[in-house]
Amino acid sequence: MDDSIKRLLQRIIKRIPFEMLETTLEKWGRLTEAQRNSLDFTQSKWALTERLLAICEENEWSIKSITDLEMIYIIENPNLGMWNAFQLLDPDEGAHSVDLLQFKKQFKSHLSELIRHVSVKIKKHTDEAVWIRIAWGDNFSRPNHLKPTYVVHHLQTPYVFMTSLNSKLKPLLSQALILSTKHQTIKDANLRGRNLSSIRDLLMRQYQQEFPTKYPSPLAEKNQTLSNRHIEAEHAQAAANRHRMACEAFGRGTLPQLQSAVYKLETKFRDHTNKTMTEREEPFRCVVKFTSTNLLESFRHCASSGIASTPVSPLLSSVPSKGRNYFVVTDNGPGPTQLSQSQN
Amino acid sequence: MEQHQKSVARTPPTSTIAQRKSKSIGYRQSYHSCLSATSRLGLTSALTVRRLNTTRRTPKSHNITDKVNPEHLSLLVKTEWQLSYVTPLYQFRHTQLRSYSRQLSAFIAAEKQQGLAVEVEGLHSSFRVLFSVVQGLSESDDDPETVLIQIHSKPLFGKQDEPQKPIWSGWLTCINGNSEYLRSLPEDFTCLPLFGSNGSEDLTSAVKSWFKQTFDCCFGPLEISNTNLQWLVALWTNCHREYDIQYLKMIWTLPVVPPLQVSYTVNSTDAWDLWNSVRQEMRAGEDEAENVNSIDIEEVIHFFEGLKNHFYRHFRLDLSGGSLNHISSALGSAKLSGRIKIAYSRYMITTLTLLTECALLKMPV
Amino acid sequence: MEGTKGVLSHLNLLKVQARGLKAQPQQQQSRVKELKAKVEALKMQREQLKAEIQTHKKLQDLRSSMDNRRAEEEEEMNEDSENSQLLRLMARHTQLKDLLHAHHLIGGYDIMRTRKGVCVSLATAYEGFYLDTYNLEIDMKPRVRVSRHNIPPFIPLNSLTEQTHMQTDLRPFLDTLSQHLNALAGRKQQLKLVKEQHQSVEVMESNVLCSILVLMLTVLGEKTAVLCTLDYTDHTRSLPTHVRLECEDEQLPDSPRWKKNCSLLMETPVHKALLTMKKMGHIV
Repeated sequence: MDDSIKRLLQRIIKRIPFEMLETTLEKWGRLTEAQRNSLDFTQSKWALTERLLAICEENEWSIKSITDLEMIYIIENPNLGMWNAFQLLDPDEGAHSVDLLQFKKQFKSHLSELIRHVSVKIKKHTDEAVWIRIAWGDNFSRPNHLKPTYVVHHLQTPYVFMTSLNSKLKPLLSQALILSTKHQTIKDANLRGRNLSSIRDLLMRQYQQEFPTKYPSPLAEKNQTLSNRHIEAEHAQAAANRHRMACEAFGRGTLPQLQSAVYKLETKFRDHTNKTMTEREEPFRCVVKFTSTNLLESFRHCASSGIASTPVSPLLSSVPSKGRNYFVVTDNGPGPTQLSQSQN
Repeated sequence: MEQHQKSVARTPPTSTIAQRKSKSIGYRQSYHSCLSATSRLGLTSALTVRRLNTTRRTPKSHNITDKVNPEHLSLLVKTEWQLSYVTPLYQFRHTQLRSYSRQLSAFIAAEKQQGLAVEVEGLHSSFRVLFSVVQGLSESDDDPETVLIQIHSKPLFGKQDEPQKPIWSGWLTCINGNSEYLRSLPEDFTCLPLFGSNGSEDLTSAVKSWFKQTFDCCFGPLEISNTNLQWLVALWTNCHREYDIQYLKMIWTLPVVPPLQVSYTVNSTDAWDLWNSVRQEMRAGEDEAENVNSIDIEEVIHFFEGLKNHFYRHFRLDLSGGSLNHISSALGSAKLSGRIKIAYSRYMITTLTLLTECALLKMPV
Repeated sequence: MEGTKGVLSHLNLLKVQARGLKAQPQQQQSRVKELKAKVEALKMQREQLKAEIQTHKKLQDLRSSMDNRRAEEEEEMNEDSENSQLLRLMARHTQLKDLLHAHHLIGGYDIMRTRKGVCVSLATAYEGFYLDTYNLEIDMKPRVRVSRHNIPPFIPLNSLTEQTHMQTDLRPFLDTLSQHLNALAGRKQQLKLVKEQHQSVEVMESNVLCSILVLMLTVLGEKTAVLCTLDYTDHTRSLPTHVRLECEDEQLPDSPRWKKNCSLLMETPVHKALLTMKKMGHIV
């Protein structure tokens, strides 16, 4: 039996936490009844691995079935790496009617045209997401299954999420993606985060945004929150106002989890107390990075507690409203500071 | 700086060995008597200097590589140190370092046998302690010389020629210590108020206990306050004239839920331009020649206001609401928690001077 | 001076005449422009009338469904009236809700003035149930611009703002957007109902836009599987534009019974069509 298959199986089992091993193997469904019974989950993980390697040899599992196990685990636990969002642009005529079968076939054939040794596995998850696992080789070596790239896409939406992608391979993957989804171009959406569902919710606008309205929305009839009334009772009008503006800028309730936001500022230094700097021609160059376990909730609290002034700076509210967390800021024309990066 | 002379006379001249305890109270009093009440309130500018210096000399580059043993220097420079303050050591002799090495080795071995501490590098190893003087790392004539302590582990059953692994190091220093205070100390006391350590907690506390027992001193954690971090930022920025500090990074933590960290990294040239403009605006009309070598706290405050205003103009977020807890540049890094790393040796003296002052002030009354 | 005056005034006269001659083709051009504008205006009017017709249709549907409901309610009321106070309140509530519903149906949007412009709420509904509400904050100055919204990215908001000339009139933009959103809500709801009501039908594929739906049906008795693909190419409608059947038995899709089923699926919401097919004994 090929040694690399066993090595891959060993690696995957090492990654799966002990308490999840049993359910993951069950979902995988490649063990016979007897083999399942022969696994003793009170044993050490090392002993279990040894037993599974023996079964692997017995059943002559292929690399495909082993990668399937990995996919099952990764799909259930996507928040282990850093996810980057990309945006598909300029859809062709037929873009809205690309179905899964078509996409699968097209993607595989386009990618293998671009690179000789590549192994692609595509799975559709229950939440309508298409999961793609790509193991890359090059013209001389076989695909390396130990360092796969994962791509997640919801058909008919303009966003694609990728993790562990070598920058050299990005053009190939991009090409295959735009061809198989029938778009003209793809660009970096400037949004990164560890939590896949959070960055997806942010871009798909699937979180509780707050808007000024005369009437409570019909949905609010059912689950009207008490917090509003409490706030009015307990805080002064100003505090309630700040809270409302904070929610309008960042949303209500639990917010999508982002870990950071980066602003590269290249703007003029203006300070009426400092003539020399204000008259200086060159921009003041600095990089500001915000980090938190939940950035948007921190921002919201900054605004509602008064550490940040309201109305909230457009630089901060751009994170949820534009769905990105990397910005280059320059002085563009008159008016206040603008985000200069192409806005779509 | 002639103001030092006055209070020497006020120092109680108690120096009998029999009254060790009372003496240790004495020196403390003496230090604080230096800081007369007026200075704390900042009423007379002549005496304010020592409570928390409001003026400092601009950092000047020291050719430290010529003076200090390169091996010592590379250890001091590449490591991140956890700082503590130490009260003056009683009957410490720079000539006795060999014997201290033996004593501390034995002490650690005894601790280990009691099972109290030290669980490093497996059970079957013993420790070799080495005390040494770091020649050349001092500024004023009153500064006692810096002492370096290194602990190596050697496997019990290892071969004779197997290289020993350094597992812990630490130092005690005093750079530009307030000479008025240093001179006021009784004869048998050596003041090395700044203690830096790197290595396992267990070994650090063993070393500390030995010092406490042997030299009747005590240790305490040394935090680097917001103001002192701001001082360091200003001093480091001022170095940019001679040495490219590459970047100036400051990290604030804002007290919101969940806590928000803001890291603000400024291009070194732009930071220098801002610093320079602040200096110029503040000094307009003053006699330049006299003041070019000193930095005033007002300038530090203005510099930070400038940085914070620029930040506020973009984010409408007030950094004063949070605490500055980490700074770094190509010269090194410092944290509120009292961790420091010096990456460039030429300005080491400046940084250590500030920290010595912090340590002296932190010592209990 | 006096001698030259006559010549100059004559020249002036000639100039004016020449200008008049030149102006004639310009007048013709402006006439063409005028007509073109009229065409545009008429087209707009046609669009508006279309929307109105749709609205009236919906209103009619609503009325008939309300009449049905009222008839049911009255029967119940007579039976038991001990909690009449509560019932009256409930009735009032329903009435207000219906009013609100009617307000939405005739194209009334909830619009609120904000600092820079307006905030519009678009409620979606399907078969008398309120579903998701979407919001748009629209800046009015310096130009009309959507500044913030919670419309999902697969609704082509940008191209809608361009196609409907949002700069000159907000109404057509909101009408078209509302059509898209209501159609999406309708398709989503149908999918949900299929999953709830038809356990014997397997949903093989669907997407977030609910524009493609692949169902696995089982022919009653024969246990043959029929793969049924519904294509909703027109995103402003909640009914498919194309239905395709695939089966091992190649004759089956062409049989009159399945042809009829096909057109049923084209004309009726999918969960209802499936119910009918079941009742007729065509599928499990």
